[in-house]
Amino acid sequence: MTFMRWQKRSVAMFLGLALLSLAPMSHAAEDQHTRETVERVARLFSSKSSIATVKMEISNEDGQRNLSMKIWSLGEKVLVRISSPQDEAGTAILKLGSDIWYYLPKSNRTVKIPASMAMTSWMGSDFTIDDLVKETFLTRDYSISTFFEGKRGGVAVEEYTLTPKPEAAVVWGKIILQIRQADAVPTWQGFYDEGGQLVRELTFSEYKPMSGRLIPTRLVMRAADKAGAQTTIEYEDVAFDVPISPGTFSLPDLK
Amino acid sequence: MMSERLLQLAWRNLWRNPRRTFITMAAIAFGYTMLLFVACLMAGLRWQMIENGTCLVMSQVQVHAPGYYPNRSIQKTLGGRQGTDVGAMLATITADRRIYAAAPRVYGYGLLSAAHRSAGVELMGVVPDEEPRITILNGQMAKGNYLTARMPKGVVIGDKLASTIGIKVSSEIVLLTQAADGSMGNDIYTVAGIFHSGLDAVDRGLVLMSLSSLQELLHLAPARIHEVGIKLNDITAATTVAAGLQVQLDKTLPVRAMAWPELAPELASYVQFNRGITFVLFFIFFLLAVIGVMNTMLMAVFERTRELGMLMALGMRPIQVIVLILTEAAGLTVASLIVGGALSVPLLWYLQVHGLDLGGATGEVISLAGVVVGHLWYGRQDFPAYIEAALGLAATTLVSALYPAWRAAHFRPTEAIRQV
Repeated sequence: MTFMRWQKRSVAMFLGLALLSLAPMSHAAEDQHTRETVERVARLFSSKSSIATVKMEISNEDGQRNLSMKIWSLGEKVLVRISSPQDEAGTAILKLGSDIWYYLPKSNRTVKIPASMAMTSWMGSDFTIDDLVKETFLTRDYSISTFFEGKRGGVAVEEYTLTPKPEAAVVWGKIILQIRQADAVPTWQGFYDEGGQLVRELTFSEYKPMSGRLIPTRLVMRAADKAGAQTTIEYEDVAFDVPISPGTFSLPDLK
Repeated sequence: MMSERLLQLAWRNLWRNPRRTFITMAAIAFGYTMLLFVACLMAGLRWQMIENGTCLVMSQVQVHAPGYYPNRSIQKTLGGRQGTDVGAMLATITADRRIYAAAPRVYGYGLLSAAHRSAGVELMGVVPDEEPRITILNGQMAKGNYLTARMPKGVVIGDKLASTIGIKVSSEIVLLTQAADGSMGNDIYTVAGIFHSGLDAVDRGLVLMSLSSLQELLHLAPARIHEVGIKLNDITAATTVAAGLQVQLDKTLPVRAMAWPELAPELASYVQFNRGITFVLFFIFFLLAVIGVMNTMLMAVFERTRELGMLMALGMRPIQVIVLILTEAAGLTVASLIVGGALSVPLLWYLQVHGLDLGGATGEVISLAGVVVGHLWYGRQDFPAYIEAALGLAATTLVSALYPAWRAAHFRPTEAIRQV
């Protein structure tokens, strides 16, 4: 029952990427331990609401860009607002249901983003708009199996292979999730295409207690086809299950 | 001396029965006219396809930074991140006398948004005063005006895009794009005009704006352009000119010069296809001509059995009979081709000047292989094809005359002279 509530209320938050929202495990095919571990990882980032302060560092051949932003989430609603650099401050993304809106302070306009654009790079980073605001139901869309259990770099880890279910509308051919055995925090996540090629990888580090949970506060995303380019996200502060007024997510107030 | 007498004999024979000769001549002359008609229309279609396909937005030769085409990565500007002296580059290009005009361009992809509707579009930045020298979109305005230097924030869009988004001339739109530095480039623009090119992809997805505005939106310095579009004096020289530019420009900075067959392979293969069809039509026509001419020649030979038998009885050898008949056929063909060619002149002139009206009163635009052809189908003189047609017809008539000549050579004079 608790799981059912999760599916409806689980929060898609920035750092979660595909990790955030777990639907209930529907089949007993996956063994108890696998299921529980992946669920525990998902629960790390799940909450009814959250407020996070995040720094993003985008580095590629064009140089480096730093962004600061604040992310609010409540149920399925997500609001991201950029606070620096100066000339982009105020830019906001609002996700209401399946619609995504952009607020552009320079033009003082609110623009609806078509679904096709949600898969393109966000602000020149290695993340997409979808990564930012879309929730993915890992256990609904993927079958999970243990794939490795042992030591990587002297740390006891478990690795899970997530293969999309036939009916799932997902872009990845498979996802590999690596979890630190001692405290079940994610350490690494690899996204593969249908040909089994690594497309991008996400590395987690800097585990800190935030709002009573031990979460990775540093995430590094690298695209396999862009050598030398990477995007780092650092959580400066996260508050889970804090009261947020639904008015925060109002479209007219996006300005 | 022998051949001279044969020639004389052949000529006299041709006019011995003028009606028969005229009928044969009419058939060949008419055939030749038909071939010229087809060749002229096909050449016109090819030319129109190439002209319209290249002049709408593409241009005939393009110069990019290596690796820019076809992915059009915003970073890959000519001369790299520093850009290049655009004026100097244009001067170098237009110094070539085969080049009619050249204009700089910048491209981007973005989201066009108005009120509550938006669409993904291709952004093309051009110099308002220079672009019309190489492309013709300025002549396709359905409403409003083309870009002008006086209205830097003006954009020109296609009619299909306008109706999808629900915008009119002087509507305000927002363009949102990923700028070169990764930031969200966005600004407000005004729709200056709406064009109708007849080409769906262009009418639905192209936003034309001034070069400097697009550079500003994309956070590109004025020295950074993606492309130089070039119009040639003679489009058939495109590949040669591109190769020359490649060598010439590569001396100062790495470039990639491409001619239209490389930029629009579907257009190039259409042209090949068109040539193939013309050849097949010619071939079928020649086959039909063989049968027709052979029939006429055969009849002519049988009609003259007595006469030919007489000649042979007087000492003409079979080989001479064959030569005589072939000479007659050759003379007939040459005369027919001259007549046919002369009769074709006004027809071909009409096709080139007035064209065939395909759309009729509706004036509907016809597009083919992704290119707008227009409702008027103009002809175009294709002299190599005319010569091919003449040689082909001459060969055809001679081949057709071989069998009748061979038959004639085997007449038995004693029997032949008794025939009435």
